[in-house]
Amino acid sequence: MKPEARYRPLLALYPRDFRQEYGDEMLGVLMADPRPGVAQTFDVVRGALAAHLRGLETGRSRAARVVQIFGAMLLFALGVRRVAGVAIRWATGADAGFVPHLPALDWARPVVWGVVLVAGVVGWRWLGAAGAAVGLAAEIVVPFQSYVNAPATVLYAYWIIVASAVVLAATLVAEGGGPMRPRGGWLVAAAGVLLVSQDTFMPYQVWSSGSAALHFAVQLIVMVVAAPALVVAALVRQEPEVRRRLLVWVAPVLITVPLVQWGFGGLIAFNMAHTDVTHYLGPLQWAALVLVPVATFVAVSALDRRVSAGRPRARRAVAVSRRRRPDK
Amino acid sequence: MNEPTFLILTALAGESRHGYAVIEDVEQMTGGRVRLRAGTLYAALDRLRGEGLIEVDREEVVQSRLRRYYRLTGAGEQSLQTETDRLRAQATIAEGRLRARRTNFGGATA
Repeated sequence: MKPEARYRPLLALYPRDFRQEYGDEMLGVLMADPRPGVAQTFDVVRGALAAHLRGLETGRSRAARVVQIFGAMLLFALGVRRVAGVAIRWATGADAGFVPHLPALDWARPVVWGVVLVAGVVGWRWLGAAGAAVGLAAEIVVPFQSYVNAPATVLYAYWIIVASAVVLAATLVAEGGGPMRPRGGWLVAAAGVLLVSQDTFMPYQVWSSGSAALHFAVQLIVMVVAAPALVVAALVRQEPEVRRRLLVWVAPVLITVPLVQWGFGGLIAFNMAHTDVTHYLGPLQWAALVLVPVATFVAVSALDRRVSAGRPRARRAVAVSRRRRPDK
Repeated sequence: MNEPTFLILTALAGESRHGYAVIEDVEQMTGGRVRLRAGTLYAALDRLRGEGLIEVDREEVVQSRLRRYYRLTGAGEQSLQTETDRLRAQATIAEGRLRARRTNFGGATA
């Protein structure tokens, strides 16, 4: 078999954009190298695998660092919101007999996400990763404590669990290189302030009077309109390449909304209608909860690579001067 | 910075080179100890380009095949200088301690 015929199938293992960029060059180098054999094959296969993994994780990249900072900022705000909500009701309802219930994990979550946020801004990757791992564990443990009595608690908190997992993954692959202040950080910070203020609108008197309409109106405006709008505005301010990659990271979190709504709406409705019988999640449903966000990430990442492959790679095009020189 | 990266940047510090020329230069620099393979080389080149440490200098077609020359960028030069300083500082410490060790033990080796 000719060397070219041997190496072409191996190069086909690489992602398409990598192959388009380097395939011809690599083939030339492989054919010039007088060391054919298993080690050469192994090296090419290993390189192809690494290129795919880099594509899936979208690189040890700037986008991942932005995900870490923005994600930790929002998770920190959600953690503070829980504490602030209890605090405001305690302050306004202590005389009326309100007894605050704030388990240690509720205190721990904002602290941990605050550490992840600071680590992301300063550039301490391992502190950030350790913090994000603890944060993810806490976000999983808290809703699971109520699973036996109210399985829907896990489903309601599911997007937060996925968001925490995304922040952990991003932290592990984020670029280093010192402090970072991402564009539009103040917009995400403003979204965080809105989230925190949402529950502090609920002094004890309003909270205990069952003014559900007011509560839901505030929740709807803040959670569905205002805070997401600020986050979208921050995403729009990113560089085009970073912005596209941010969408890859956000996709697994977004998919949890229709997944829970349409995939588990029946289970939630049944449990709400039947107080005497509780339906729990089955193995396939657990598998769907784990696999759907992962598959979404992989699919959107592949789509992003495909879109990128169709465009000139900006970073590649910068300094290519096509002066011809004699062959060496 | 791992050794292949350091060696690739060093190879490109001298002049712009194409992929196979980098492999040959690295082999020559290390007295044959390190001979990069294509998979390793191009994974590193792609990463270094992404980090802005190297860039494409020019392209040419040789025997109907693309040959691309890479060169060090300003950031690459700075990164290589930083790593070189770090390695030199460590080597100086190691050398000093070895010298002191030989003095303390009257030249005897353990």
